[in-house]
Amino acid sequence: MWREKLRIRKSNQIQALHPSTKFLIVCLFSACSLILGSIKMNGYALLIIPWFLIVPLLCAASGIFMKFCKAFAKVLLVATMIFLTQSFLVRSDVVAWSGGVLKIYEKGLQTGIFISFTILNIAGIFTWMFQTTRNKEISRALEDSGMHHKAAYVFMSTLQMIQVMGQNSKTIMNAQRARGVETEGGIFVRAKAFFPSLVPLILGSIIGAEERALTLESKGFDVNGKKTHMFELEPSGYEKLAASIAVAATAAVLIGRILVWVL
Amino acid sequence: MGAIIELNNVTYSYPLANECAIKNVSLKLEEGRFYGVIGQNGSGKTTLCSLIRGFAPSFFRGSLTGEVLVCGKPTLDYKPGELSLKIGYVFQNPFSQISGVKDTVFEEVAFGLENFGVPVDEIEERVIRAVELTGISALAEKNPYELSGGQQQRMALASIIVLEPDIMVIDEPTSQLDPEGTESVFEIIKGMKDRKKTIILVEHKVDLIAEHADEVIVLDKGEVIRFGSKDAILSDETLLECGVQLPNIALLGNKLTRSGVPLERIPITEQQGVEIIGKALRTRSWCK
Ligand SMILES: Nc1ncnc2c1ncn2[C@@H]1O[C@H](COP(=O)(O)OP(=O)(O)OP(=O)(O)O)[C@@H](O)[C@H]1O
Ligand SMILES: [Mg+2]
Repeated sequence: MWREKLRIRKSNQIQALHPSTKFLIVCLFSACSLILGSIKMNGYALLIIPWFLIVPLLCAASGIFMKFCKAFAKVLLVATMIFLTQSFLVRSDVVAWSGGVLKIYEKGLQTGIFISFTILNIAGIFTWMFQTTRNKEISRALEDSGMHHKAAYVFMSTLQMIQVMGQNSKTIMNAQRARGVETEGGIFVRAKAFFPSLVPLILGSIIGAEERALTLESKGFDVNGKKTHMFELEPSGYEKLAASIAVAATAAVLIGRILVWVL
Repeated sequence: MGAIIELNNVTYSYPLANECAIKNVSLKLEEGRFYGVIGQNGSGKTTLCSLIRGFAPSFFRGSLTGEVLVCGKPTLDYKPGELSLKIGYVFQNPFSQISGVKDTVFEEVAFGLENFGVPVDEIEERVIRAVELTGISALAEKNPYELSGGQQQRMALASIIVLEPDIMVIDEPTSQLDPEGTESVFEIIKGMKDRKKTIILVEHKVDLIAEHADEVIVLDKGEVIRFGSKDAILSDETLLECGVQLPNIALLGNKLTRSGVPLERIPITEQQGVEIIGKALRTRSWCK
């Protein structure tokens, strides 16, 4: 009955795709984004802008639109900052737009669009994969693909460690605040509080690492035999279809690119 | 019965340390017995455990002279993983014992059995038994990181018990437990002893050692200063100078003897105290 509880059931068929299929989609989508980004119209890589629409649509179809928005907000912020700094700071001869003292040069606008949308595309599709896949599905898929169990462990525990560190850093921040260290306010105040708070965080992780290694050994992690898995990956049955669509779309993009080049 | 664990003239020091953490220790531990290890902070209790489990020197490096035998074979001659099935080790810090790759307590406890390739049905059965035994069945679906310190300690114990090793080395399993939790952990350990496991337990709560252990090992500055029957050792007031606590009832017994009440012997548990002091009170031959 416990094995039943450990199973992951997903009613959404896109969400339920096997992690390796999702990874294929992620790779092909990123490749397409780069190919499309190399097609310039008057020097602007305009095609990667509508291409980005696929990400929110895919997330909506996977039933994780809200989760995606939450996870993606930070990426959006970074992409916007990059776009703005590129647009305003890179100067060239041709002015693309001017309003009062502010001037946007063509060169800056071009690189701004290219970099920020490439980031949005690639980070977006990865966000889709991680939001539709549980950590243990990923690590199981890695092991199935022939990765050594120790390497898969490192990957998996790093993912968990990021979460735990996030929680710990809150605890440590609170402790620092209790001692009178300013952790709220402007960016410099925060930065000053941030670096000291890293010290206990990192030290704690290192000290824990020694005992962690010994614990793993106590639980037979080093034994090189066949391991049992309580959790099995269950394909949704639509893997072939999804992979075919992804490959076909990539082929179309590639052919389009070649045509643009030849004509 | 032969010794299951044997230390012959063992001296060990950690790398870069000036002083030896363990000095000239010779011990013979017998199968199926429950050994309590006591001593003040830094006296070498954890190091002794690491030596028995083979972590020192295979993991910690450092220098070892003398030999440590488990089942007649030097710990250094064991293949990796082989000792994990023989000796279960529960560490002092429950937090760092979480594997970090499992989402639920149930899977965390099952982790060791998965590594040894035990069939799924058997894993399920054994894990259910272990979580029931340690009283964490209700937490089985929670995330290991969301447990309290005491609950994590029980989980750490469960994930070793589930492996059913012949020898269990347990380093302060109750440091974060309340009195009731401590009592129940000792019940679990006693259950392991009834199943013929050899137990080596480091514990500061001497009252519980007095009650449950068969024999006591006292460490001071890396040396074994006493080893043997708990009755003789835990009633010996000279140990107080080495920073070792004695059961309260033993302190009372010693005071009574000094003030002229002739006790048969010094009691070390409440039970004994009631009997021995009661008997002395009833005869009252000492009372003028
Ligand atoms: N990993 C290590 N590296 C170097 N020295 C160590 C290490 N662990 C312990 N020591 C030293 O070895 C000595 C014995 O330490 P040990 O941890 O065995 O004591 P303990 O009796 O378990 O103490 P406690 O009651 O605090 O757990 C101490 O002086 C300690 O500083
Ligand atoms: Mg210790």
